[in-house]
Amino acid sequence: MSSLKELQDLIQEKYGIEPSTLDPHASMREKGGLDSLALAEFLFAIEDHFGITMPDEDANIDTLAELAVLVDKVRAAKPA
Amino acid sequence: MNTPSEVAVTGLGVVAPHGDHPDTLFEALLQGRSAIAPVFPELPKPAAAATVAFDESRWFTKLQLAGVDRVSQLAVAAADLAMRDAGIPALADSGLDAQRVGVYGGCGMGGAAALEAAYRGNGRVSPLTIPAFMPNAPAAHVSMRQGVQGPVLTYSVACASSSVAIAEAAKAIQRGEVDLAIAGGSEALIVPGVVLAWQAMMTLAGFQPGEAARAVRPFAADRSGFALGEGAAFVVLESAERARRRGARIHALLAGWGLSSDATHLTKPDAPGQARALRSALRQAGLAPRDVGYCNAHGTATRIGDAVERNALAAVWGDDLDGLRTSSTKALHGHLLGGAGALEAVITILALRERRLPPNVNGGQADPDCALNLVAAGDADAPALEAAISNSFAFGGTNSVLLFRRA
Repeated sequence: MSSLKELQDLIQEKYGIEPSTLDPHASMREKGGLDSLALAEFLFAIEDHFGITMPDEDANIDTLAELAVLVDKVRAAKPA
Repeated sequence: MNTPSEVAVTGLGVVAPHGDHPDTLFEALLQGRSAIAPVFPELPKPAAAATVAFDESRWFTKLQLAGVDRVSQLAVAAADLAMRDAGIPALADSGLDAQRVGVYGGCGMGGAAALEAAYRGNGRVSPLTIPAFMPNAPAAHVSMRQGVQGPVLTYSVACASSSVAIAEAAKAIQRGEVDLAIAGGSEALIVPGVVLAWQAMMTLAGFQPGEAARAVRPFAADRSGFALGEGAAFVVLESAERARRRGARIHALLAGWGLSSDATHLTKPDAPGQARALRSALRQAGLAPRDVGYCNAHGTATRIGDAVERNALAAVWGDDLDGLRTSSTKALHGHLLGGAGALEAVITILALRERRLPPNVNGGQADPDCALNLVAAGDADAPALEAAISNSFAFGGTNSVLLFRRA
């Protein structure tokens, strides 16, 4: 299970960033134009979308691919 | 000693219930077209307000909207329109020193929608609620959008906020602290929680079904209060000398301003306090009451407010009161609270520039306690108009009067 596609759809819906324009391995801050505020809001939207609670240590996450790995982990740990 | 420089208004920008062009707004007012309509039918008591049809995508990408409340969006748009109107679409290319440009913004409440969402989120609160609702966010967003690096200040003085902001900006121009000021204000609090709070205070106009547009009746015997409005308005101020040098269009001169405090009651207005602000504005402009031909009244259409404002005007104008044609345009665009002073300043400037006066509508039943020369619909022409005032009298007791002269 990878959440990457859903994250790409979410970032497109929320911020109008096309999946093709943001390499999943590129920095969302530097290449995506998401500043710390936009990133905080995106994490909030991810929590709403997946019905999960993101751990606090996610502050170092910088790419969509890293984010997808973390979201996968949290979703897998979520009780059914 | 050098005489203080004249302060010129060289840019006007509005994002108002009547649209986002000053001329369109002014024509709508001259025609007596009300923008007040029913809102939130789910509320227990009927509510009406004047809202803005705002397309945020004209000003922001989706990414830029992160954490930007509607109150800041409206401010960014109105300030941008004002700068374009002043012939300065890009500050960086203007030859101005960004550190000698300031933003003076008025805002009564801040980001009401962000707060409302936090209260209604069942515990889910956006991490950007704080930066979205802080009352200085609108001015901050204007500064970032325009690249302004001088003083960026917010005045939160309830209904006088943006009038005070314009007065403070004019002082900064006159003292030479800044070369250019973007001054005005913004308010966007048409959300259910805030409307309920205003209803609870018993200050909003009652109305029968289908009558919302005519609910606000300033200075009329059957007046019952105001309707809330939202929107933003900004003006660009600079010294008249600078404006003439760069060949800018001068809409009007801001010739005087008067600030005073009632120091009597938090919400009950006080005629002597208002009269002090009126006299102060006249004194600074070096004008006598008879020189002023139009008053855009505070005119909230509350029982007490209109009568007190009439008494203040009568105290200062005396026998010349009949020569002061007066209207409250709040009957048409609602009460923008922190944005009201700036929107009504723009309307006053347009009245002066065009020598046409917007009517005081819905005043069918005259109130002897509010005996004023109210501008009748269809009687707009004011060919000899040379000077006009805009009154803003706030909860908290602060009174602000702006006096404009023809350029």
